[in-house]
Amino acid sequence: MAMGGASFPFQWPEEPADAGLDDVTLPPLPTAVPDAAGIAAAYYADAATYMHAMQHMEALPDFAAALAAMRREEEEAAGIRLVHLLMSCAGAVEAGDHAGASAHLADAHAALAAVSPTSGIGRVAVHFTAALSRRLFSPPTPSPPPAAEVADGAFLYHRFYEAGPYLKFAHFTANQAILEAVQGCRHVHIIDFSLMQGLQWPALIQALALRPGGPPSLRLTGIGPPSPPGRDDLRDVGVRLADLARSVRVHFSFRGVAANRLDEVRPWMLQVSQGEAVAVNSVLQLHRLLADDPSADDARPRAPIDAVLDCVASVRPRVFTVVEQEADHNKPGFLDRFTEALFYYSAVFDSLDAASGGAGDAAAEAYLELEICDIVCGEGADRRERHEPLRRWRDRLGGPRAGAGLAAVPLGANALRQARMLVGLFSGEGHCVEEAEGCLTLGWHGRPLFSASAWRAAEENNQSDSCNADGSRRAAAAPVRRAISAAAARAWVSQS
Amino acid sequence: MGGAGAGAPRRPGEAVEVTELELRIQLLGGGGVGGAGSGSYNINDNADILAEILSRLDGRSLAAAACVCRLWAAVARRDAVWEALCLRHVGPPAPPAAAGPATRAVVAALGGYRRLYRLCLGPALDRLAQAQAQAARAHHLSLSLSLSLFSIDCYERLGGGGGGGPSAGKRGRQQPSSLLFLCKPVDVS
Repeated sequence: MAMGGASFPFQWPEEPADAGLDDVTLPPLPTAVPDAAGIAAAYYADAATYMHAMQHMEALPDFAAALAAMRREEEEAAGIRLVHLLMSCAGAVEAGDHAGASAHLADAHAALAAVSPTSGIGRVAVHFTAALSRRLFSPPTPSPPPAAEVADGAFLYHRFYEAGPYLKFAHFTANQAILEAVQGCRHVHIIDFSLMQGLQWPALIQALALRPGGPPSLRLTGIGPPSPPGRDDLRDVGVRLADLARSVRVHFSFRGVAANRLDEVRPWMLQVSQGEAVAVNSVLQLHRLLADDPSADDARPRAPIDAVLDCVASVRPRVFTVVEQEADHNKPGFLDRFTEALFYYSAVFDSLDAASGGAGDAAAEAYLELEICDIVCGEGADRRERHEPLRRWRDRLGGPRAGAGLAAVPLGANALRQARMLVGLFSGEGHCVEEAEGCLTLGWHGRPLFSASAWRAAEENNQSDSCNADGSRRAAAAPVRRAISAAAARAWVSQS
Repeated sequence: MGGAGAGAPRRPGEAVEVTELELRIQLLGGGGVGGAGSGSYNINDNADILAEILSRLDGRSLAAAACVCRLWAAVARRDAVWEALCLRHVGPPAPPAAAGPATRAVVAALGGYRRLYRLCLGPALDRLAQAQAQAARAHHLSLSLSLSLFSIDCYERLGGGGGGGPSAGKRGRQQPSSLLFLCKPVDVS
C-alpha cells in the first residue's frame, strides 16, 4: 500500500461500518486507492489508527476527501460485482451451460478492468478468471515438459518460502515435533516425502547439534521427482546438507529416492534399519494422493493415499508430521469448490500482501496460481490439488475406521510458542497461530490457512519403543553399522 | 567478517589477535597517548576491560564504537563481545547447555555471533520494537529460533536454494535469502 505524499502524512483508514458488506458470504475486499494526492486506504486498521485519522480529517479540504471516498466505494462495488460474476460463471459451468458461462466470463473480464490490479481482490480475480477461461475455451493441453516444470516449480517454491510465513511455520513446527519425539535416541532416520531444496533440515541439524546429551547420528531419506539426465538434484541437496552437518559435527548420511508419485515408493526402498528412530515428514504432499470423494466411505476403492499410509505404518515411525492446507477443495461439485477456493486464496493473497509490506510478490503468487489453475481446471484424475480440512485428515489418519494404525501426538506448548514467535517476526499483524486439540493452525485474521499435526505408530503389545532398550541391544553392532553407513555416504557422495 | 567458515576457523581470528596485541604493545611503548601523569588511566591500556565494557552495549552502539579507532575496532570484532550481546537479548536460556561451549562451536561453524546478530537478531529486534502492540513485545526471541533461521541462511550461502543451476542462471541470478523478510520495510498500518 502506498504511503501518503508530502502534503498528507497520515493514512486514510477503511471504515468497515460504512461498507455495508455482508462479510459472511463474501471474501474480504481490501482496497488500495492511490490517487493523484497519494492517499492510500489502510485495510486492517484498528481503533487507535482510526481515531487518530479522524482527528486529522477536519484539516482536509473537503474536495479531496469526497473524491477519495467516492473512488473507494467504486472500487468496492466493482469488486463485489466481479465476485458475483465469477460465481455465476462457475454456476453456469457446473450446470453445463457453456453459452451462459462464456457470457458471464466476458462480463467478468470487463469488470476486471475496473478493479485496480494492485488490490487483493484484483490479483486473485485475475488468476481465477484466467483459470475459468482456460477451463472453458482451451482444449485439454498435454502436460508441460517435465524438466521445465520441475525447475520452475523449485524456483517458485523457494520464492513462496521467502515471501510468507507458511512454509517456515510448517518446517519449524514439524522440526519441533521431530525433536521432541526422538529425544534420547542415538540413531535417527528421517524420511522426507518431498525434499525440494531441503530448506527444512538445516534448522533440525543445528537443533540436534545443540541438544543436551549430544547429537545423534542422523540419516535422511529424501524423496523427490526424478531429475533430468545430467543432473542429480537430490544428490546435490544431500551433499549440501552433509556439508552443513559436518561443520556442526553431526554425523549425517543421505539417501535420495526418485519417484514421480508417492505411492510408487515401497517400504524396501526406504531401507529402515532395526533400532533407529524413524520420523516421516510430509509437508503439503498428502492431499495430492486423494481420489474423488465418494459419498459412502465404506465402499470406497483404494486410493493412492491408502497405499502411502500403509507404507508409513509399516516403518513404525516415532513421529509422522503432516502439514496441509486448511481448506475444503475436494468437493465433487464445481461451484462449491470454486467458491471455497475463491475465499481461501483471497485470504492467502491478503496475507502475502501484508507479509511483503504491500508490495506483493509475483513469484509467490505464480506458485499459488498453479494451484488455483489445477483446482479450477482439473477434473477427475487430472486434479492433483485436493485440499481437505483438518477434521477430515484426523478421521483419515487416526479415526476408528482408519486402517492406518496411527495415533495422534499433541504438538505441545513449545511448538506453539515458537510458531507465535516466528509469525510475530513477519509484518502485518493479521497472522495468528491457534491450537486445536493438539494441532496448530496458522491463520489470517481468524481464517485458518495451514494446519500442522503429528502422529505416531499405534502401540502394539510386543513392540518396545524405548530408544535405550534398542540402543543397548544393538551396542555391539553399532560401530560396525556406523562405519558401513559412513562408507555408504562416502560412496554416495563420490558417485559419478 | 567476524566468524570464519568451517574451513579456516583459526586464521582470521589469529590475525585479529595479533593486530590487537601489536596495538597494545604500540600503545604501551608509545608512553600513553592520553595520560599525562602516572596516576591517570587510559581506557585503551587494557583491552580486556575495554571488551567487558563494549559487551554491555547494544548493537548499534557497538557498531559505532568500532569506528572510533583501530584498537576499538579490533576489540569490537571479537566474537565474545557479540556473544554477550546476543545472549543478553534473547530470552532466559532454559536448558543449561544453551550458553555453553557447544553453542559457541555451533555458532562459530555457522558464521559467528557477529553475523548472527547482523542477519537475525538485529533486524528481528528492530522489527519487534516497531510493533506497536504490547502483546507483540512480549514475544521476545529465543536463541533456538534465531539459530534456526541463521542455520537456514548458512545453508543457502553454501549454494543451496537456487532452484536448479541452469534455470536460475537464465533468470538473472537473484541470490535468494530466507532472512530477507526481516529486512523488508515494516508496514505499520
